[in-house]
Amino acid sequence: MDEHARARLAEWLTGAAGMPIAITRMALLSGGAIQQNWALDVTVGGTAQRWVLRTDNATVLSASLPRPAEFALLQAAFNAGVAVPQPLFCCADPGVTGAPFFVMQRVAGLAQGHRLARQAAGMGGDRALAEALGRELARIHTIRPPRPELAFLGTPPADPARAFIARQRTALDAAGTPRPVLEWGLRHLERTAPPPPENLVLNHNDFRIGNIMLTESRVTAVLDWEFAAWGDPHADLGWLCAPCWRFGNRSLEAGGIGPRDAFYRGYEAESGSRIDPARVAWWELAGTIRWAVIAADQAARHLSGKERSLELALTGHIVPELEMDVLRMTGTLHA
Amino acid sequence: MLERPDGPDLLDTAREVLLNELLPHLPEAQRFHARMVANAMAIARRESVTDTDSVLAELRALLNEPEAEPAALLSRLCAEIRAGRHDPGTPDHAAVAAALAALVRLRCSVSAPKALGR
Repeated sequence: MDEHARARLAEWLTGAAGMPIAITRMALLSGGAIQQNWALDVTVGGTAQRWVLRTDNATVLSASLPRPAEFALLQAAFNAGVAVPQPLFCCADPGVTGAPFFVMQRVAGLAQGHRLARQAAGMGGDRALAEALGRELARIHTIRPPRPELAFLGTPPADPARAFIARQRTALDAAGTPRPVLEWGLRHLERTAPPPPENLVLNHNDFRIGNIMLTESRVTAVLDWEFAAWGDPHADLGWLCAPCWRFGNRSLEAGGIGPRDAFYRGYEAESGSRIDPARVAWWELAGTIRWAVIAADQAARHLSGKERSLELALTGHIVPELEMDVLRMTGTLHA
Repeated sequence: MLERPDGPDLLDTAREVLLNELLPHLPEAQRFHARMVANAMAIARRESVTDTDSVLAELRALLNEPEAEPAALLSRLCAEIRAGRHDPGTPDHAAVAAALAALVRLRCSVSAPKALGR
C-alpha cells in the first residue's frame, strides 16, 4: 500500500470515526492466498490504538464472502459474545485502498496451526483448550436464522446434507477434472445422509486451528468468517475433527489439540444440546471432501493462468492425501 | 542418448543445495518460499519416475475399455459411481474399491508419500 493509499485511508478513517486519525505504522501481518491482514497502528484523537485492516488479495475464491459481509458476521458474533476482534469500520469502496476492507481491534494470541499442535502434543493433548473450543463453537451456534442483517447469507437450506452434496457435485462438474475418489465419497454421503437437523445455526465453516487465536488454553479470537453460512451445527463439529485439520496429531481428534470427548463436553455444556456422533462423522467426511474440492479449485486458478502461484499449485497436491482420508472414512481401505 | 545425470538426479542435487546451502541464509519471511520450492522439486522428481501403467490397466479392465484415454476412463468411472452403479451390493463394488485404493496410493506416492504410512 503506497503513501497515497495510506493518506486516503487516514482521511477515510477520520471521516468514519468522526475523530482525527493518524496512521503511525502499517505492516503486512499475513498475506494468505485469499486475504491480506495488515497491522495498523493509529492515534485516535491522540490516543494510540492497535488495529488490523483486512482486505482482499488478488485471488478471490468464488465460495468466499466479500469483506462487508464478513464485517457484518463479525458484528453478529461480537454481539453474541463470541471471542472475536471488535469490528470497527467497514469500507466497501475500492477507491480508498484499491479493494474493499474493514478494520477491527488487534487481538493478542497465536494462530499458527503447526506450532499450536506441537505444543498440545507436547502435553499429551490439551483437554482444557479442546473444551474451550467446544464452548466457543456453541456460542457461534446461538446465532440462528432469520437475521435481517445477515440477509446476504440467503435462505437457510431445507436439507443441509443434500444441499451440500449437490453443491460439491456442481463444483466438481464445473472444474472439469474427473475425481472418482471424491465421487465415491459423495455417493457414500448420499446413501447415508442424515435427515435435516432440528435447528439450523450459523456455521462458521472454517472453525479450526489456524483460524483461531489462542493464549494459554484460552480462545482470544475466532477469525476468518468468509465461508459462514446457515447449516447443521454438526458441520462445524465435523470440520474441526476432520483428520486433515489435526496438523499431524492424528490421535488428538479435536483439531490436533485434544481429545474429542473434551471438545464435545465443552460444546454440550455451553449449548445445552446433545451432539449426535454419527452426524459428526458424516460431516467429517463431508468436510474432507469440501477441503479437497477447495484445494483443487485453488490449483485450477494456477492452471488456468489467471494467477500463477507456487502456493496455489502445491495446494492441489494436498488432494491425494485427502482422498486417502476419504477412502479410510468410507471403509474402503482395509490394508 | 541424452547426457547424464538425468532429471531426477539434478532435481535431488539442486534440492539439497537449496535446503542445505541457501535456506539457512534466508530471512525467516523467505524460508517459507524456499521450503515450497523444495517441496515442488520433490513432487516433480517423484512424478518423473512414477509408472501409471498398471493402475490404468486395472481401470481399463474393470470398465471394459481397453483403449480409453485416462481422462475418458476416469470420467466414465465418475459418472457410474455417481449413478450408484458401484454401490455396496453391486457385483463390481469390491473391484472398484480396490482400484480406487490403488489409484489413491499411486497419487499419494507422488504428492504426499507420508500419507502412505498412516
